Amino acid sequence: MAVITFPLSRIEGHARVVIDLHDGRVVSAHFQATEMRGFQHLLRGVPAEQMPVIAPRICGVCSTAHHVAAVKALEDAYGVTPPPLALRIRELLMLGQLIQNQATSLFFFTMPDRLGSPGLLQCAAEDLGSSEERQAIALRALQVRKAGTDLITAAGGQFIHPVKAVVGGVSSGVEVGAAAPVREQLAAALPLACELFDEYWRLTERLRDRTGTWGDDTPTRYIAAVGERRPNFCGDVLRVTGTDGAVCATFPARELREHLAYEDTDYSYAGRTSYLGDIVRANSLARINMAREMCTERADRYLDRFRHAFGGPAHAILLFDLARGIELVYGIERALELLSMPLLGEDTAVAHTPKDGEGFGLVEAPRGPLVHRYRIEGGRIADVELIIPTVHNVGAIERALRVAAERYITADAVNLELERAVGRVVRAFDPCIACATH
Amino acid sequence: MKQFAVLQLSGCAGCEVSLLNAEEWIQRYRLAYMPLVVTTYDVPEVDVLLVSGSVRNEEDIYNLRRAVDRARKTVAVGTCAMSGGVAHLGDREEIRGLFFSHPERPHVPDLLPRTRPVDEVVSVDLYLPGCPPTPELFMAALDPDPGFKPAASVCVECGREKLRDMRPKKLLGFTQGEVQPGICLINQGFLCVGTSTRGGCRALCTRPGHPCVGCRGPSNAFIEKDSRVWMTSIERVITSMTDIPVAVVEAELRSPQLSLFLFQFSDYDGRRRAPRPREKLL
Repeated sequence: MAVITFPLSRIEGHARVVIDLHDGRVVSAHFQATEMRGFQHLLRGVPAEQMPVIAPRICGVCSTAHHVAAVKALEDAYGVTPPPLALRIRELLMLGQLIQNQATSLFFFTMPDRLGSPGLLQCAAEDLGSSEERQAIALRALQVRKAGTDLITAAGGQFIHPVKAVVGGVSSGVEVGAAAPVREQLAAALPLACELFDEYWRLTERLRDRTGTWGDDTPTRYIAAVGERRPNFCGDVLRVTGTDGAVCATFPARELREHLAYEDTDYSYAGRTSYLGDIVRANSLARINMAREMCTERADRYLDRFRHAFGGPAHAILLFDLARGIELVYGIERALELLSMPLLGEDTAVAHTPKDGEGFGLVEAPRGPLVHRYRIEGGRIADVELIIPTVHNVGAIERALRVAAERYITADAVNLELERAVGRVVRAFDPCIACATH
Repeated sequence: MKQFAVLQLSGCAGCEVSLLNAEEWIQRYRLAYMPLVVTTYDVPEVDVLLVSGSVRNEEDIYNLRRAVDRARKTVAVGTCAMSGGVAHLGDREEIRGLFFSHPERPHVPDLLPRTRPVDEVVSVDLYLPGCPPTPELFMAALDPDPGFKPAASVCVECGREKLRDMRPKKLLGFTQGEVQPGICLINQGFLCVGTSTRGGCRALCTRPGHPCVGCRGPSNAFIEKDSRVWMTSIERVITSMTDIPVAVVEAELRSPQLSLFLFQFSDYDGRRRAPRPREKLL
């Protein structure tokens, strides 16, 4: 019996991979999340109306998704429907989150795997030669990323832990003076994002040629909350597809637990989810597999190219990364469309009366469907359940790790490529540990 | 070129994400360790160590002590590192027991009985307050500029007009829909603590209409005093501008959203801590 432990980096939070071996055979491959703050406990007793400010603190990477999910959970409990302008501004918030997250994941987390470097932002004295190329990528990538964060600031007040979504709508519109510079930034970021994504696609193909694999490509179920016609990151309905890509279940957040089973594990602070006992995958590839079209020009061209190269549904895990690039381009294009519409001058919110009860708030976060469930008693949170996209993926991550381990471990030796493969597998799912353990 | 490292303890990575937006350091500093964006296994000798997150489990203590030994200067970054932050809500008496309801997990680091700020474990040279600190503050921490002065308070940076004759009798909640533009949020009945909260955030919350929750902590006038003095000053501001009963204001200040920041220096976990000296705060 031998145990190999791999610390993980270029993901959000603290986690490691532990592979157990016996006589050169892989016994298990575990994904361990090693931190927890206990939000499902510490949110108890909090006045319900304060959740949109406290809940984003679950995660600084996904704070926008938690902010909007918290507001939607309260609106569900109170029976409130926000006006159209508020919905547009919330969509902008979610697009800003998508742009900043996909740019960070693509260029800062996974691009280094394709360049064979420890990171884009590290410039060690000993490798100054290649660091110029990396820095050129880094500076463009930061510009794309910043267009997303500035969009969140314009729509949400501040970009980490935004504040502008409120029960009934948003607290204010977006002033013309705030929208115009963001539109310019996004317009400048669009060609940069495409250029970087093209380069990323080329490097990914080269990586595949070197390793001979796209990774675990077992036909799998997918889950996402994007709309049926066009991507919608504030939708109200979840869909699950079978391994053939056909939709096999459609349900509102309220019925989520009838479809998805959650179990704790004794080796990680994050549990895992399954659908009818099967592994299910969330995140970019789930959405791209379910998308009929992106409804924006450049993103649709990338989607066609993706479908042409990999078919649909596509299952290989490195395709999660390419799917993220399509969404990055979509996010910028769609935000530009919305920013050309008026974002002022209409009602930003409707009046509401707080009441006790249960509410479910669903958004499609960059990592997949996120649900906040609150039970409210006496105006305070009596019980909280946080259903986290990364947790949907834990089973899929562990299976993909096992596939990689079996490829690189034989009775005689462990191929050192395994360490890199483990990093690529985990990063393809872009897990967020702060969220997963909360 | 100066080297710096970023050590993330139990936190949300929001501080790291904010640092990525302060991109000016990229050409001027060598990032030696930051697992979020660089694959490195250990903290090397560095000039500056930025620590974010609170000390929540055994591994946090170990990592923190090891890293501080290799740093010439240690900076506590963000509310969690400074005071425990949001995780402190788990230290309320009625909540602590819930943490024992989990089955045993023998393979992951044990949680500590309560959340600890960084300076309860190691000594800290500089504090960078905020949830998260703004990119400008990161630059000020990396590149000390003797001329750097954050604005006195959020109120000064906000620019909403205070009206003498608009005196609400009732305290509004935090998420009550439409907010009138240009008029002070206190005049509109919101419990905004921007009048005595440390500035430097450009009033990002209050300008679009959300009351300040005090994430940057007290302004210099209160920083070296007991949090009680700070609280009393907030109560005085609200009661002088409105007809809301002081007891209502006091109760609301103690509710979690505010107290998690308002008590960040002498904590609501029941422990009194010495105030931080103002020259160590940005």
